[in-house]
Amino acid sequence: MPFSPSIARLAARAIKGTQATDRARRLHYADAGHGYDRFGLHPDFIALGDALASPLYEKYFRVKSYGAENIPTTGSAVLAANHSGTLPMDGAMVYADVFRQTDPPRAPRPVADYFVTTLPVVSTIFARCGVVGGSRGNARALLEAGEMLLIFPEGTPGIGKPFSERYKLQDWRKGHAELAIRHQAPVVPVAVVGAEEQMPQLARIPLPIGAVPYLPVPAVLFPLPVRYHIHYGEPLPFHEDYTQSDADDPAVVAEAAARVKTAVQRLLDRGLQMREGIFR
Amino acid sequence: MISVLVTGVTTPIGERLVRSLVADTRVAHVLAVALEPQEQALPFAQGNRLTYLSVDLTRTRRVHELLFGPARDLGVEVVVHLSTHRDPHKRGRRVHMANVEALRSILDLSHRHPTIRRVVVRSFGVVYRVSMELPVLVTEDHPLNLGGRAPQYVRDRVEADLTACARMGLTDAEIVVLRCAEALGPGNGSQLFDYLDAPVAFRPGGFDPMVNVATVADIVRGLELATHGSGEGVFNIPGWDTLPLSACLRKWGTSSIPLPGSVIQRLYNLRHLTTGSEFEYGLNHQRMHYGLVLDGSRARDVLGYSPENPVDWPVGGPARRDPDAIRHAR
Repeated sequence: MPFSPSIARLAARAIKGTQATDRARRLHYADAGHGYDRFGLHPDFIALGDALASPLYEKYFRVKSYGAENIPTTGSAVLAANHSGTLPMDGAMVYADVFRQTDPPRAPRPVADYFVTTLPVVSTIFARCGVVGGSRGNARALLEAGEMLLIFPEGTPGIGKPFSERYKLQDWRKGHAELAIRHQAPVVPVAVVGAEEQMPQLARIPLPIGAVPYLPVPAVLFPLPVRYHIHYGEPLPFHEDYTQSDADDPAVVAEAAARVKTAVQRLLDRGLQMREGIFR
Repeated sequence: MISVLVTGVTTPIGERLVRSLVADTRVAHVLAVALEPQEQALPFAQGNRLTYLSVDLTRTRRVHELLFGPARDLGVEVVVHLSTHRDPHKRGRRVHMANVEALRSILDLSHRHPTIRRVVVRSFGVVYRVSMELPVLVTEDHPLNLGGRAPQYVRDRVEADLTACARMGLTDAEIVVLRCAEALGPGNGSQLFDYLDAPVAFRPGGFDPMVNVATVADIVRGLELATHGSGEGVFNIPGWDTLPLSACLRKWGTSSIPLPGSVIQRLYNLRHLTTGSEFEYGLNHQRMHYGLVLDGSRARDVLGYSPENPVDWPVGGPARRDPDAIRHAR
């Protein structure tokens, strides 16, 4: 990162006042000795990220949050959400929402696709805010440390789903369920309503080389100012329903992942019924 | 009371380990070995509990004579193997002999040795593969850098590491491999030290990976714990300091310029040609993008090792150029 945490702190204060840094200071994280955790997270950058996200969260997407009491206040957990919108604004808004809705604040650790770690600048900013590359080892280490992962089991295909497929969950990966069972963590289903209409895609241009899988061709240059509705469902008690050894049973893992998918789809359906319009 | 044979004692780590073992009341005798003649070797006097021998470990016959001569006579129980080439620009058969074959000889001979019961091998964090799809936090089961395009510096270290690992449980002697974080300081073969110690450092634009660095004091502590421990296995030995590369540069007082990777490679090649510096960008390319932090949980649980000595970072100016300004321990 070309600038130090102190500059990030000053910038956060300039944008949002001391409340941004005060909240980030109360964040529980595993300081590895120089203010950063071993993956690169630093509270001052979280404060800056929160300050930068504020206009989007409060004014642009006007996020409404439901069921935030279901977010575990301590201990390892997995937040599993639907993914969409061409640009990962849904990840940013869920991240900002969890940070605001929890007290003491918790910063979820979003698990990003591998290619995100290859992107200059973006990878560094993400790492400072707590994002980790989607390797099993990273996820394992974080859950063992009692962190809360934010996983989008639809992955990159989810964010690039066609407009006609909005709110229909794509191929649902199973890694999150296996991790949750193995590390005895509850899974909180999360439904993001609004993001699926923010940036309809016209086409995708596959990129044969490099780590980025495709170049999206959206119908609009910027995300539309849709209203985000973020719904947190009741935690699925995988730590009670399964034993650690169940993580080695593909059938059990598949069943557990299907439970999560069903829970997210139900939340989505309910959220769609509740909302009064795309922009309201 | 045990007697210990230490190879590679003319390095800062070797020298400090020998000092520490000589002061250790649990150690009866230290047999210190390096290539250098005695008068150029250890800068402190040999006493009743320390013997220095100049031995070329690339020659199997010399290793045999060492282990079944002075080592047997002194009743050496533990061998701590530190000897390895430190310059990544040195290549060829002789370098391979020093990096790998010397260790192979020691392991071969230890198997049928009458007194040696334990071999401690210093390995390196550089043996681990770094890439976008792998974890930043590295445990001992992390993939190794076995890529065909890896330089000899890495290939030799991986081969030596695996040579030791392959014999675990198959020989009479216990084998312990310590994959150590880089010890910042001159003479340690630390790529990062050479990188930070330049007036200007070039780094890949837009990337700021996490790095973990150690002090000589912590590496020596890890070696001592392994020397006196029991059982065998592979252990990461991380340092106390885990921080982004940019923070290292700031603490060192080194200016940095972000550049594209291909340009950085050429600039460091040029720097090596003109100044003989050791840093090789190709060796560190992946690490300077994705980072690597050693997870020391296993060493903590089994050996009782936890890093305790933070780097006393130089803060720029003339102090940075003076190796003595870098305190390795507190």
